[in-house]
Amino acid sequence: MEQASLMHNGKTSIELVVPSILGYEIVARGAVATFAHFIGFDQARIEDLKTAVSEACINAIEHGNQLQPDLPVHITSSYDGHRFTVEVSDTGTKPLGTITEPKTIEEKLAGAASLRGMGIMLMAALADEFLVEPSAAPGNTVRLIWYQCEVAQP
Amino acid sequence: MSDDTKRSKPSEKMIELRLPSLLGYERVAMDAAASLASRMGFETDRVSALKTAVSEAVTNAIEHGNQHDEAMKVVVLLTVRGDELIVSVTDQGHKTIDEAYVSRVPQISEAMKRDDKGGWGIWLIQELMDEVEFTTAPSGGNQVRMVIHLER
Repeated sequence: MEQASLMHNGKTSIELVVPSILGYEIVARGAVATFAHFIGFDQARIEDLKTAVSEACINAIEHGNQLQPDLPVHITSSYDGHRFTVEVSDTGTKPLGTITEPKTIEEKLAGAASLRGMGIMLMAALADEFLVEPSAAPGNTVRLIWYQCEVAQP
Repeated sequence: MSDDTKRSKPSEKMIELRLPSLLGYERVAMDAAASLASRMGFETDRVSALKTAVSEAVTNAIEHGNQHDEAMKVVVLLTVRGDELIVSVTDQGHKTIDEAYVSRVPQISEAMKRDDKGGWGIWLIQELMDEVEFTTAPSGGNQVRMVIHLER
């Protein structure tokens, strides 16, 4: 399908709101992955994107929204023909900035730290750009950006 | 967040999805609904039926309700309430659904005479879902509310 037919004024976006319940990140991950596939992302990038979006949503559910089911997690995914952006926002009962830097994998395997807590490192590694910032409304926003994605040939 | 989302009851779990009115984006809604239904425990054939119904409803909203106006949104609400999944698809209502289409049963012989072979969406939705209701949303657009029950 022609790229132009997938966009309005050179841009396109989808928005999603999910409750703060673990497991719902799978629905968000799937929706964003379908969107990325639809606009022509290659499968390897989609796999990176799925992992990073899952981690961002889990952080929002667990840390930002403190597992309170009624608090929403907002996911906005947009593409401008050059840059694919995913923003995940919580309503911020706890700033994500307070999450400490993860231990190394070696330290975790040695039992010096929890086996969890790799989300931020993963997101930073998998996205071309990764940023955590306060939302305009109370809360945190994680922004994941992939530049110059390879577009599948029709 | 929509007004409907704000009104969700504590026992309900609701997902809201906002899509541009461009054909093809119905796939995002199909996959989100399928993912949620699978998580609820629906069998594969029921998930397939749900995907078809969601696809038809969103395509109708893009093509007819929003008249392919790319700036307009289609809002899909997926609500888990006990053993049922409620899917609501709302457009911004450039064109209202013709009442005659809601109750008519399309005939293959008639459809084959037309170039587009279309006109099956509403009938398909009614055949595939356990409950279907066509209404006007508070915002003024068309709204189709579909319910599928989990059989244990």
